[in-house]
This record gives sequence, structure tokens and C-alpha cells, in this order.
Amino acid sequence: MKTWHFILVLVVAGLLTLFYKGLWGDPRAIPTVLIGTQAPTFSGPEVRTGEMMSMDSFRGKVVLINFWASWCLECRTEHENLLAINRRFSQHPDFVMLGINYQDRLDDAQKYLQVYGSNFDHLRDLKGAISIDYGVYGVPETFVIDPQGIIRYKYVGPLVGPAYTHLTENILQPLLERRSFPSS
Amino acid sequence: MKKNLILTMVPLILLFSALPYDVMAGTVEEEEIDLQVRAIAKTLRCTICQNESIWESQAPLAQQMRDLVKERLMKGESPNQIRAYFLSRYGDYILLAPQKSGLNWLLWAGPFVLLAGGGLFLYRTLSRWVAQAGAEKQEAPPPIDDRLRKRIEAEQHSRED
Repeated sequence: MKTWHFILVLVVAGLLTLFYKGLWGDPRAIPTVLIGTQAPTFSGPEVRTGEMMSMDSFRGKVVLINFWASWCLECRTEHENLLAINRRFSQHPDFVMLGINYQDRLDDAQKYLQVYGSNFDHLRDLKGAISIDYGVYGVPETFVIDPQGIIRYKYVGPLVGPAYTHLTENILQPLLERRSFPSS
Repeated sequence: MKKNLILTMVPLILLFSALPYDVMAGTVEEEEIDLQVRAIAKTLRCTICQNESIWESQAPLAQQMRDLVKERLMKGESPNQIRAYFLSRYGDYILLAPQKSGLNWLLWAGPFVLLAGGGLFLYRTLSRWVAQAGAEKQEAPPPIDDRLRKRIEAEQHSRED
């Protein structure tokens, strides 16, 4: 076989591999560049009380941030699980959970929380600055920040099934245990 | 009455249709900062749209991104610093045109390399075909058997007679 035949076969095989990967991959999966970087700080009014809250006050804690909106159907799907996460970990002194209300109207957001209930605080993202700072594409999106303020985990989509189990068992639990028992 | 109205309206319509769009709309010249916002916004992808820049998109997030670009320009950041900020939040996906660095060069150069390779392949194949056809033409005609030769000669003689 001539050299250029060999090169042609290699190029075609390479292209076919790329097409194959493209066809079978998840088109929604966009790799995040934020993992391992310092979490941006933010502040904003709480959805129900209007009281100003700041991310700075949670330094040294494991923070779970969930971006949601009242118009988002997938957010409703995961809502019960979010409440369950907070019920399970809120006893831990180093755990904080925050909701960030994304591209929403205040009355709709308040009504949503009234109907579906909530056991943690929610900040309004007034100018979309928090969402842009966290590179949010859509809702729901969930981030986990470690006590050093580093983004350790990001999940796009509703926290149900394996995603929920992975977050609680493989991300939150180990992070909180390490925090409680630094020697381990 | 109706005739008068038509007579008044027709010249007016003709006049306004002849004027450039921005004069008609009474727009003022864009400020320098707005031009910069537009230039930057046109290079950033609206993350929730189908292949639209944040300049073209009417989505609330795109509007907020445009506002953020303006806010950062007003703070004195350069266009490159602003693009770098969006890049640090969203990665390469935020840029409508991939950066000319690293593996991205494959995207930029790939089509030209493939075109050149394809052209070379076509050139070599066609050259070979042309050379083969030429060689076949120059070859001696196939031999004829004695019977056929005699028949041709006989026919030639009969024509000469």
C-alpha cells in the first residue's frame, strides 16, 4: 500500500471516530471550566424576606447552591430531593444550602416556594450577575463549594435518581466528614 | 376630500421611503461605548439560544450579558479582559469563533488541509487516468488474422478495378 493510501485511511478513520463520538455523546454536556476554581462571592435579597444575604458569611462551610426558577419544570421534579438533602445535612454545623432564583418574577418565585415548600434560603439574582459568574446555562444547575471556597462539583439537570445519590453519598458526605475529622 | 388626502400622502410616502433608515427613525449616533459593547457582544454566544450572539438575542440572559459588558467597559476593562472574563465562566463555548490556539488550530486549518489533500488526490488520479488513456492510444493496433487481411486486400483490389 502506498504511503498516501495509508494516510487517507488514517484521516477517514479519524473523521469517522469523531462523527461517532459526536453522534453518541450527550449534546447537552458542556464541560465546565469552574471546577477547582475559587467560587465567586455574591449577595442579594432573600426571596421571601427581602433581607440581604452574602456568600461571604458562609466562608469555611460546605455550601450547596441550586439555581432554579418557578417556570422550570425540571426544578419541580428535583424539589422534594432538595428538601431531603437539607433535612439530612442541615444538622451538620458546616453545611449550608442556598437557592438562587434565576430569571424569574418575585411574586412567581414566592408563590412557588409557598406551594412546594422550602427549608433553606433563596436569593434573587436581580441582574443575572450571579448566574453569569457561575457560568449557568439554564436551570436547574447545582454547585458544591468546599470550606476553602473552591467549586468542587457542578451538576446540570434535576437531582433525581443516580444524580441525587451521587451528590449525597459521593460529594456531600465525604466533604462534610473530612471537615469533621480533618485527621482522616 | 379623499383626493386631497391622497395627493398629500403620496409625496410624503415617496419622500420618507427615499430617506435612509436612520434619518427616518431619528436615531442619534451611537456613543463610542455602545459601539464597543456591540463589537464585544457580537463575538459572545447566547448560551440559551440556537447559535446566536448575545447582541442578536432578545433573551433576558443575553440582555443581562450585554449590560454586564457595558458595565465592565465603563469600569475601564478592555474588550480582551471582558472576553477573558466570559471565557473563565463558560469556557470556549461562549466564543462564537473558536480561539486560534492549541487543538483549535485543527478547526481552523482542517478544512483547508482537507481541501488541499482532496485536490492533490484528484490531481494525481486524473493525471494517472490521462496518462493511461494516452498510452493506450499510442499502442499498435491489434493484429488481424490472414483471412481478414486477404479479404480486405481483395476488397481493395475490386475497388481499384
